Amino acid sequence: MRYGAFAEAERLEGVLGDPGDPASVFSTAACADLDDADGFPTDVCAVLDGFDLARLYVPAEFGGGLVDYQDAVQTMRMVSRRDVTVAVAHGKTYLGAVSAWVGASREQAEKVGALVRSGLPISWALTEQAHGSDLLAGGVTATRTGSGYRLDGEKWLINNATRGGAVCVLARTDEAGGPRGFSVFMVEKAKLDPATHSPVPKQRTHGIRGADISGISFSGATIGADDLIGREGTGLESVLKGLQLTRTLCCALSLGAGDHALGIATRFAAGRRLYGRGLTELPAARHRLATAFADHLLAEAVSVVGSRSIQALTGEMSVVAAVVKYLVPTRTEGMIASLRKLVGARSLLRDVLEDGAFGKVERDHRIVSLFDGNTLVNLNGLVNLFPILLRTADNATAPDTDGIRAAATVTEPLAPMQHKRLSLLPRKGSSFLLALPAAVAEVEALAADDDALAPLATAARALRTALDGVYAAVRELPAVPVNVPTTSFVVAQRLAACLGGAALLQLWLRTRADALAETGPSTPLWRDGVWPTLALDRLLASVGTPTPAPQAHYDTAYDVLTAQVGSGRLTSLFDHRLAEATR
Amino acid sequence: MTRLEERFGDPYNADNPFGHRTILDADERSTVAEGAEAVLDEFGLNAEFVPEALGGRLVEVDELVRRLRPVFRRDASLGLGYGVTSLMAGLNVWLGGSDVQRKWLADLLLGGGKASVGYHELDRGNDLTNNEFAATRTEDGLVLDGRKEVINNAARADAAVLFARTGGKGGGRDHSLLLVDLHQLDGGTFRRLPRYRTLGLRGVGLSGFEFTGCAVPDSALVGDLGQGSDIALRSFQVSRCVMAGTGLGILDAGLFGVLRFALERRLYGQTVAELPHARATLAGAYADLLTADALVTTATRALHVLPATASAYAAATKLLVPTLLEEAMNALSVVLGARFYLREGDYAGFGKHMRDLPPLGIGHAGGISCQLTLLPQLSRLLRALGDPAPAAVFTAGAALPELDLSRLRLFAPSGDPLLAELAAHGTHPGIAAALAKLTADVAALPARDTGVAASPAALDLTDRYAALLAAASVTGYARHNAVPDGWAELALSRLAERLTPSAALPATHPAAEGALFADLLDRATTGSGFCLDRDPVHRTLAQ
Amino acid sequence: MTSTDTTTSTSTTVPADIAQWLAGRVASYLDTDAATIDLDLPLAEYGLDSVYALSLCGDIEDTLGLVVEPTLAWDYPTVNAMAEFLQAEIA
Ligand SMILES: Cc1cc2nc3c(=O)[nH]c(=O)nc-3n(C[C@H](O)[C@H](O)[C@H](O)COP(=O)(O)OP(=O)(O)OC[C@H]3O[C@@H](n4cnc5c(N)ncnc54)[C@H](O)[C@@H]3O)c2cc1C
Ligand SMILES: Cc1cc2nc3c(=O)[nH]c(=O)nc-3n(C[C@H](O)[C@H](O)[C@H](O)COP(=O)(O)OP(=O)(O)OC[C@H]3O[C@@H](n4cnc5c(N)ncnc54)[C@H](O)[C@@H]3O)c2cc1C
Repeated sequence: MRYGAFAEAERLEGVLGDPGDPASVFSTAACADLDDADGFPTDVCAVLDGFDLARLYVPAEFGGGLVDYQDAVQTMRMVSRRDVTVAVAHGKTYLGAVSAWVGASREQAEKVGALVRSGLPISWALTEQAHGSDLLAGGVTATRTGSGYRLDGEKWLINNATRGGAVCVLARTDEAGGPRGFSVFMVEKAKLDPATHSPVPKQRTHGIRGADISGISFSGATIGADDLIGREGTGLESVLKGLQLTRTLCCALSLGAGDHALGIATRFAAGRRLYGRGLTELPAARHRLATAFADHLLAEAVSVVGSRSIQALTGEMSVVAAVVKYLVPTRTEGMIASLRKLVGARSLLRDVLEDGAFGKVERDHRIVSLFDGNTLVNLNGLVNLFPILLRTADNATAPDTDGIRAAATVTEPLAPMQHKRLSLLPRKGSSFLLALPAAVAEVEALAADDDALAPLATAARALRTALDGVYAAVRELPAVPVNVPTTSFVVAQRLAACLGGAALLQLWLRTRADALAETGPSTPLWRDGVWPTLALDRLLASVGTPTPAPQAHYDTAYDVLTAQVGSGRLTSLFDHRLAEATR
Repeated sequence: MTRLEERFGDPYNADNPFGHRTILDADERSTVAEGAEAVLDEFGLNAEFVPEALGGRLVEVDELVRRLRPVFRRDASLGLGYGVTSLMAGLNVWLGGSDVQRKWLADLLLGGGKASVGYHELDRGNDLTNNEFAATRTEDGLVLDGRKEVINNAARADAAVLFARTGGKGGGRDHSLLLVDLHQLDGGTFRRLPRYRTLGLRGVGLSGFEFTGCAVPDSALVGDLGQGSDIALRSFQVSRCVMAGTGLGILDAGLFGVLRFALERRLYGQTVAELPHARATLAGAYADLLTADALVTTATRALHVLPATASAYAAATKLLVPTLLEEAMNALSVVLGARFYLREGDYAGFGKHMRDLPPLGIGHAGGISCQLTLLPQLSRLLRALGDPAPAAVFTAGAALPELDLSRLRLFAPSGDPLLAELAAHGTHPGIAAALAKLTADVAALPARDTGVAASPAALDLTDRYAALLAAASVTGYARHNAVPDGWAELALSRLAERLTPSAALPATHPAAEGALFADLLDRATTGSGFCLDRDPVHRTLAQ
Repeated sequence: MTSTDTTTSTSTTVPADIAQWLAGRVASYLDTDAATIDLDLPLAEYGLDSVYALSLCGDIEDTLGLVVEPTLAWDYPTVNAMAEFLQAEIA
């Protein structure tokens, strides 16, 4: 089926052209050369500026073009599928500005919106040399002066800190620190006395080598009272809420990287002959590709529902974001590593297969699970939510079924975003988890009339059992807030898998009728529950309850994958023609 | 401390000419640290590749692996680039060559020369039987045509062992091995190909050879015409074990780096090492390193003691060890956080090591070719277990029979002595159940599913076999040697989880984990390496 | 900033001493004994992570039938401060 969220993406593809054409600015070849030289993708960013991509970084209510977060995800995916470096280098401005969308007054947010629209890159500066995940340990201070604040200290490992025009800084406004001791400031470099700030040199990195990962040091930089975002002491809150959005949107980076890697591996396999036959005629090679595709569809489904939830289940984003940010990057890492074994020696060679893009995309993508809240921070976030998730399950809190429907029905327009609805806690639990038993019953009812759905029903039941197992495990766990025991992390991984599974079941249930009403290359995935059965197979294997999908489902996935790659379409649940599309 | 460990010094010392800083700078320039190869020359590393009878120092293969470790701890490019491939080339000659060839190559290597080994062609990959590089018989010798690609040291090697098509009947007698003196070839019919740029192992010079009607004398043949596959597959048994063993040094160094970071870095009011998850990750990686070492040690000693089954052990080792090591490095990278992504700073060495490990696993027989070696042998290996392996396989330092390459076989006889050790002395119920299940599944495997078109389910059997061999190695090694407290318990439990997924939460082993972490810390502070032999190392924790 | 609306729930019984009850909840998160909690010491001193402390709002909602901002524990960082605030809300 076609999905409206790809409209902007399609327009962007038209502007960018075929990445395989070395003459185009944003070609695989050009990106590989920049990568060799640790060079910033200046020209490519200029093309994106020409497209006014930054309009999608500013919510409509603050003067931009961001109406649906979905559109931003799919558009950014098109950038990332060509080069994760560019997506990180350009998309970072959304992260720089997000504190304003969630924590600033309307007037201030509009001002930041205008800054973004002007093309100014904005950084988000949370990290320092000595402090990363522990946000409350930060040492950069903002001290009140007569008319504003003076900033002192250094932020380090900050994307675009040197090239950017503004830096959104988390700084200590109360010497004693604590959750009310930090505030966020929008610091425009042009307004500072040049003697009071200096760049900290770019750090060379293993992946996204061209990105400007540097730092900025302040010494007595004076900023105005109106540069404070929201009120003093609300820094942690606005950062945590902003992270709910950015962590979810990071899925665009993983999806694009996954599209890229799958495309390379599929094209390689199609052309390779071994043992007197095509590599794709060898069952193990086909299976590796089909399994990778299943992982990719899983990541895509969770990403679509997760990012639609920003508008549909806004108050639950603390849990959804942690699940998406844990699940999607780590699954994609695993998928790329598995494909590397298929690509073999060429993954090491710079000039033999598609400009060495396979090795590059694997390296580049590693950043996604690392920044903006790493794997453990996200799992720890879920551990923190165990009590509330268990309590809401135990007292059978009603799920927000309207919210679920909106999040999972991709043909339905989303209600406008209300940033005020973001909450640090999912007060009513997670609707996807709470609605899982009903969703399983719904699948079972469908399967009762259609034998072809029996494997999906089996998988759905196994998912429900797995979730019951998670609840049982949570009950047994000691509550230890800081020194979280290792077992809690395992339970959190399983919880994330269950929530991802619950979300993707909803996507299939709510969207399948529309999907089957159209025919296109992706249609076979929607029939007979093929894709959700495969995605659940992958998820359930990861939680220790293997529930293998039928071989025929893998065969279908393999056929769709080769059809999509062969015709220049996106590797996706949806039909989307890329710039290189042949028909 | 070994001489090499001494000479290379503390990688964390900024003034050390062979410290991380210099190695990383060299890597940026796609080369190795200046003077590092001279150190290896001075040490005479090549002698390790030459049998004692021919004037070298190669006696026991497990000792060879240990001697290479200080090099791979510093820089995998240095180890591979300097010449592990000289060993690969040499093995064919030691096994199949004439006395003249053996002496010639031994002297060449002992004199500091380099040999390349050319099996592969880029378009044919692991499919050696369809290689196109050909040697055609003429009246006065052989004429070579074709290319060998992605070949280590091809640009500077003095000699090469080449795998060439010499027949067209289809089957195992179509290929022969040739030993050629590259300096004697006619420059008009032979050329060295340009270097490949690589994304990892950047300091290694991979290039190739091109032959266009290049004449070589008959005496270049190693063994008889048509014996190429035979000789190559037997020498692979040694080189696969050695290549798997080189990765141990990488994880050893990576584990030290992350431990160093975890002890130094503070967050939430304590060090990272005090976070239970980080501590468990460190202890788990240590357990896996020791497990990988146990498998490598057992497989290399089996080359001497159990040569008939070595083909299976070598393939299983090359299949599982790179995977175990890669997974452990991955888990450690999560603890290192942002610093694993940086090419500068104290911990930049970790990212480089992590980048270099996977290609080391691909080079010289990727996982699939090892699986295809194992698959047809499984039903015989598992049919009846026979007698457990003799203690000499496991006992560190016990005298080994001389390495006799001619006793290596292409196909193992029935009855697997390592699995018999596991059956007789294994204590972990999950492992025992996995062995029973594998035995049943292998018995049900149709023979048609054991060739190149094997199903994923069939190939999965080889993964399980390899994990069980690892369990056997851990069991045997722990029975015959003093080992760190807690290791065997944790190692077997981790292998059992790998073998059999379970909905139950992983069992916790707080005492074993605590003991292992304490041992790790003790080794780190007292300058001991993290492998089974506890070799003294030069490296310092942060002050 | 803190309280939004107050609903009296029928199924819950409000503990007589809110401070003691809160100390009990805090202690359970810390896996220690309520007696060891100093009612005037900031929760952070016990290592109660600021994000984790947000969970208290769920207990408050369940037991006191009071819907409060999750950041309650940030704005009233000791047991006594929190109890005082809650007492006023209930009254
Ligand atoms: C290329 C790149 C770009 C970046 N861009 C930016 C940017 O633009 N702005 C910005 O502010 N930052 C940026 N960062 C910093 C990034 O977000 C940091 O990685 C992050 O802040 C975490 O810090 P750390 O990795 O130093 O690890 P620390 O937070 O110091 O943690 C050390 C280790 O402790 C463990 N740990 C942490 N928390 C927990 C927990 N709750 N439970 C268990 N274990 C835990 C983890 O294993 C972690 O790796 C960037 C980093 C990189 C590499
Ligand atoms: C660092 C390095 C150094 C090297 N040095 C040397 C050297 O000195 N001398 C030398 O001769 N070679 C050398 N090589 C070459 C190398 O060993 C070969 O290129 C490699 O082993 C096989 O080639 P390939 O990766 O292209 O895999 P291919 O054999 O082409 O296979 C491609 C992929 O297909 C899949 N596949 C293959 N068969 C099957 C099957 N039956 N079923 C399912 N899937 C299958 C596998 O997943 C495999 O990865 C080196 C390679 C590296 C990386």
